[in-house]
Amino acid sequence: MSTKDAKNPARDARSDRWNRIGVLGGGSWGTTLAQLAAAAGHDVELWVRRSEQAEEINENHTNSRYLGDYRLDEHIVATTDLERVATRCGFILVVVPSAALRDTARALGDFVQGDQILVSAAKGVEEGTFHTMTQVLREETCCRKLGALGGPNLAREIMAGKPAGTVIASAYREVVERGARALNSQRFRVYGSRDVVGVELAGALKNILAIACGVATGMEMGDNARAFLVTRGLAEMVRLGVAAGAQEHTFSGLAGIGDIIATCFSPLSRNHRVGLGLAAGKKLDQILEELGQVAEGVRTTRIACAWARQLGVEMPIAEAMYQVLYEAASPTEMVLQLMSRRARYEADGRLIDAGP
Amino acid sequence: MRAEDKERVLVEVTSRVVQSRIRAAARGGPPLDHVLNDTLYHERKRLEREPDTPARRRDIAFWEEIQRSLARASEEELRELLRRVVQRYVLEIMGHFSEPMYHAATRVVPHALMGLLNGVSPQRLLHARTEFRRIEDTILIGGEAESFRRIARMGTVILAPTHSSHLDSPVAGWAIYHLGLPPFLYGAGLNLFHNPLVGFFLNRLGAYRVDRRKTAPLYKDTLKEYATFSLEIGYHNLFFPGGTRSRSGAVERKLKLGLLGTGLRAFIHNLRLHRPRPNVYVVPATISFPLVLEAETLIDDHLQREGKGRYIITDDEFSRPRRVLEFLKGVIQLDARIHIQFCPPLDVFGNRVDDHGRSLDARGRVIDVTRYVLTDEGYAHDPDRDAQYTRELGEAVAASFRAYNTAMTTHVVAFAVFQTYRRLAPHLDLFRLLRTRGGVDSLPLADVHQAVRALLERLRDADDSGRIRLTPLVRTGEVSDIVADALRLFGTYHTRPVLQRRGDRVFPEDMNLLYYYHNRLTGYGFEDALAALPRREAA
Repeated sequence: MSTKDAKNPARDARSDRWNRIGVLGGGSWGTTLAQLAAAAGHDVELWVRRSEQAEEINENHTNSRYLGDYRLDEHIVATTDLERVATRCGFILVVVPSAALRDTARALGDFVQGDQILVSAAKGVEEGTFHTMTQVLREETCCRKLGALGGPNLAREIMAGKPAGTVIASAYREVVERGARALNSQRFRVYGSRDVVGVELAGALKNILAIACGVATGMEMGDNARAFLVTRGLAEMVRLGVAAGAQEHTFSGLAGIGDIIATCFSPLSRNHRVGLGLAAGKKLDQILEELGQVAEGVRTTRIACAWARQLGVEMPIAEAMYQVLYEAASPTEMVLQLMSRRARYEADGRLIDAGP
Repeated sequence: MRAEDKERVLVEVTSRVVQSRIRAAARGGPPLDHVLNDTLYHERKRLEREPDTPARRRDIAFWEEIQRSLARASEEELRELLRRVVQRYVLEIMGHFSEPMYHAATRVVPHALMGLLNGVSPQRLLHARTEFRRIEDTILIGGEAESFRRIARMGTVILAPTHSSHLDSPVAGWAIYHLGLPPFLYGAGLNLFHNPLVGFFLNRLGAYRVDRRKTAPLYKDTLKEYATFSLEIGYHNLFFPGGTRSRSGAVERKLKLGLLGTGLRAFIHNLRLHRPRPNVYVVPATISFPLVLEAETLIDDHLQREGKGRYIITDDEFSRPRRVLEFLKGVIQLDARIHIQFCPPLDVFGNRVDDHGRSLDARGRVIDVTRYVLTDEGYAHDPDRDAQYTRELGEAVAASFRAYNTAMTTHVVAFAVFQTYRRLAPHLDLFRLLRTRGGVDSLPLADVHQAVRALLERLRDADDSGRIRLTPLVRTGEVSDIVADALRLFGTYHTRPVLQRRGDRVFPEDMNLLYYYHNRLTGYGFEDALAALPRREAA
């Protein structure tokens, strides 16, 4: 690069833009990602909906509703001004609930430009269209350099400074490279992948299993049963994922198995807590009210079942969870139903003639 | 290519290819002697397979000399050898286009073509033009032709049609001429130049030579750079992004991205050089024939171990003048029409473009596409990123193909009949079904009507929602007229009638061709329309 370029003000503005990381969504995961980016040495602009929340973050450096007393890095600046974040940051993480992503993306589309990078860390699939979050970003903005982030990342553990790893998937190498630069630190390792659909679907579908595991935990079915649920659940996640264009091996990576293990076996997981509530005989409305946050798995169960039916993919565990969540079936009944399915070969699902 | 540009192109393209190889070698890529040896290897293999001609002997002499010099060449001499090889390729690719000849030729072409169609002697052709059916009545131009014409004034255009026949390039060439646009460059397979009549016009209609037998990477680099540079200096180009004629008869879904990607390369170069009209646009188009000249050869090739067919076919119907004549006469006598539909223009990233040549995002907001190629070092190439942009362009082109594909009576009836057979014998694999017809030699005409009726309902819905195009007869005609029209067409030209009506039954006489014409409507999910019909027992 010539010295002339180095003095170019446009270029300086550009490099500022790359040193500033944008995060859309001030929930627990969005705030945690903002914390990670700040820890990696960046200025972070965090877009939140409520001005009181922005004030709390800017003045007290806490986000108490979602993260209790954890102290946030002072390099995080919260704002309710989407345009500000969209025009000042080169790299933007989108961490809003999946149901709100299209509206947020459409608003974002008024401000962003084609060289910017958008990475979705939202976990869900759009109802009706069955589009993944990056597909929605593609439809609502001019950005092409899109990516998805997923892995065993329980927000509270990361906030407590415990080590973790994640995957950023994109068809564009620059997205993975800039993503690693944005978030990599001694406590947080970023891996790359090209399988965007795989990382997105693994992240979304595992929430169904987390609810199922919560039910199993609540009913004290034992570790064998939970391992059984998770393993067979993974098989049906892979079936739907592959039918939707994902790579099978992604599901055995951090975004797949990694995330499943963390989410399904940790009481910190919101979806897991939904399952515990169901096992205790509580109504869904009550559980969600007590939770006070979005549990993506509830919606995802409904959406995944509809999608699986459309694609002709069998998902017995997701179907059972659907019955429990939406048709008021009792968890015990569902377990019985799952256990009384015909015997099959594990690998390809062929039926075994096990007698009458 | 204009004579005054030729020297410039020769120098620039040669230098770009050579420089990029030198740079690659310096960065740890293949050293120049490896590049030359590799090229030599590919050329020698090609020459071994070719019949003895003066051209081949000249080639052999050239390559022997390169080989001799290669053995003891210094780095400096290696560069010179590389330059000579690339220059030879460029000269060969360029052809002999001249603008005055183009205008002379385009005035003659329609009449010559119509003469051919009417099977008359050249004397009559010159003296009695008026009695011919006008070419405007045979080739129908539809879709966004106005946008195509307008966008060609705002930047350089890549016209990217579907490809099912060697007659596609004359059809596209005629449409370009008819719309009053300047000539387009296009890379025509060398074998086309061997047909004397076609070769004459190709040489003068902006065609450059693509020798598919030349497999050396250096040759392919040269071709791509030639296309890139011609786009940069404002020559519109015609590419068939399917790469080769569709063997199955289906509209292309997988596209060859190499040539398509030259548009983006040219765009970036233009930005870097601050050229005044940097934009390159891509206009996909569909060309639909009710009957395809080379259908029999193409589907045979497709079915010979699906996918492992020959890439280059030189001995098809197109190389037999009498077949071409029969075909064209058939088209005329049956009042058949060839449709060329222009799709909305795209930019080189696959975004839609408005009437002012500005790119739009999916929500219709104007966007600045230069941002896509902006890096810390200014506007720059990035092979990894650009390959992905081009894949996304390819997806947009394939989606345009699907939406502007024109369903004709032959496609509709073939689809309805083939799917009915498919349903009668659901357990047979494709090859067995084609060979045995599932033991059913014919269908009641009433069943064919019923199947066509069910399909039409879906087709017309799809047309309403912009997912496909229909010919006027398919759009508004009665089922019986549509079936009759297809049977009439299917009864001519092909060696055996594709479908034949005897009494109140319809007999498929050539299952492979039936399958071929059916394939034009695959990929839309129309199969369901027929699956809902009651299944009758075979007679």
